[in-house]
Amino acid sequence: MLKAENITKRYGFQTAVDDISITISDDSVTVIVGESGSGKSTLARMLSYIERPDTGRILLDGTSIGRRTAKATRRNVQLVMQDAASSLDPHQTAEQVLDEPLKLLLKMGRPQRRERISELTDMVHFPRDRLKNKVSELSGGQQKRLCIARALAAEPQHIIFDESFSGLDVTLRKQILSMLKELRKKLHISFLIITHDLDTAMYMADRIYVMRFGKVIETLERPTSFLDLKEDYSKELVKAAEYKRQALYI
Amino acid sequence: MTGKILRKPQAVIGLLMMLAVMIAVIYAPHLAPNDPNKVNIMIKFAEPSQQYPLGTDDMGRCIASRLIYGARISMSIALPTIAAIAVISVLLATVCAYIGGIVDKMFVIISNIFMALPPFLVAMTLVGIFESKALSIVVSIVIAMWVWNAQVVRTYVLREKSKPYIITCRMSGCSEIRIIMKHIIPNIFPHLLVLYSTGLSGVIIMISSYAFLGMGLETGTAEWGAMLVNANKLIFSHPELILYPGLCILFAAAGFNLFGEALRDICDPREG
Repeated sequence: MLKAENITKRYGFQTAVDDISITISDDSVTVIVGESGSGKSTLARMLSYIERPDTGRILLDGTSIGRRTAKATRRNVQLVMQDAASSLDPHQTAEQVLDEPLKLLLKMGRPQRRERISELTDMVHFPRDRLKNKVSELSGGQQKRLCIARALAAEPQHIIFDESFSGLDVTLRKQILSMLKELRKKLHISFLIITHDLDTAMYMADRIYVMRFGKVIETLERPTSFLDLKEDYSKELVKAAEYKRQALYI
Repeated sequence: MTGKILRKPQAVIGLLMMLAVMIAVIYAPHLAPNDPNKVNIMIKFAEPSQQYPLGTDDMGRCIASRLIYGARISMSIALPTIAAIAVISVLLATVCAYIGGIVDKMFVIISNIFMALPPFLVAMTLVGIFESKALSIVVSIVIAMWVWNAQVVRTYVLREKSKPYIITCRMSGCSEIRIIMKHIIPNIFPHLLVLYSTGLSGVIIMISSYAFLGMGLETGTAEWGAMLVNANKLIFSHPELILYPGLCILFAAAGFNLFGEALRDICDPREG
């Protein structure tokens, strides 16, 4: 279980995350929704141990992640960022991207790594014949799949997706979200999805947190409909999503 | 890589020019038709002939032989100089920029102090510190020029360090050293190639300029810059004597520049 207890993060006079407590249960999908600037990505970065909170603590299975080594935390918590192209080293081949966590985090030998890379590519439906290609030569969808495979390579308990599905076309997004649902069932890992897209949230979530101005303003367990949201701001978000949908269909 | 170089005309031309210079450097004794330092006042300003392909200078020395040996002397100073500049600037700038904070601030302050001094002035002040003129030239150019290169490298590292893939590398378990060696340096390498190949041409010109100002190697040495100085007084009567070494400097500098620029385009996937 990954838990944030009363964490706060400030940049100068700006409070990005203000005294937030959230829980990401094992084998579940937690979604955080909110408008741009609500502090979602800062929270994701703190949960994935890229940034430290100013106050409060983050617990992984009851132990503060500050007490663990960075590698031990990476073994359990992985992050998939928004832009796949810029989050991969352009000089690496797809194979090298997958090889690195297997070698450095899991200390696997070369034959084991080769075998595991094949398994990972099959898991995320990444074409094996593209493994020798530089990441800059891959399509957007392939890069996204590679990012997910890289995160899975560490065999983590939790994967955080920070706006990872925005910018994808509708078909590809559907394919990737369905694939993630399957993977979660198969591998029993938990996902924390940061998004501003309510449709993605509703499709995936076991629990939804709504964030505004660095605070969690509403929590929704086992959501079945947008009507379950009670706060005015949450209803506004739903309304905005409706407008967007209508505009797209007109 | 070889295929990509051969498919790019700019790279091929640059490579051929560099090869021509390097062949002159390595095989100078076999290529030079005469002893470059043999004085024969009786045949001064001789016309080009089979024995003296470019004629002779005011001391009756074979110009072609002196130009071929000149490549050897110029490059034997320029290559170690640029190698020392590259090692110092990459090491210092990469480490300081990557660590950031107070270390980087100190680096910037020290750099600014060095940059306030014009490189040529620093070089002129230091050029006499060692007994060996060649060593003095190397050390003075390194001290004068490292900071300019280090500042450029620092900018590249800072830009690379802020890219999202660095976070992905951390998530994959990379140590800080590994991030520098396996990710940052390979990504800035194409830019370094251009920086130091163009820098090499700059150093060749600087060495020649030293000689031109009378601070270079001993008078009479078969070096391109020194040959320019000697020919200075004969510019109206025998302009070819100043033209030949000038063209050699231009040829070598252009060859390294062309090849460096082409390599950057080949190595950088974002530009390729």
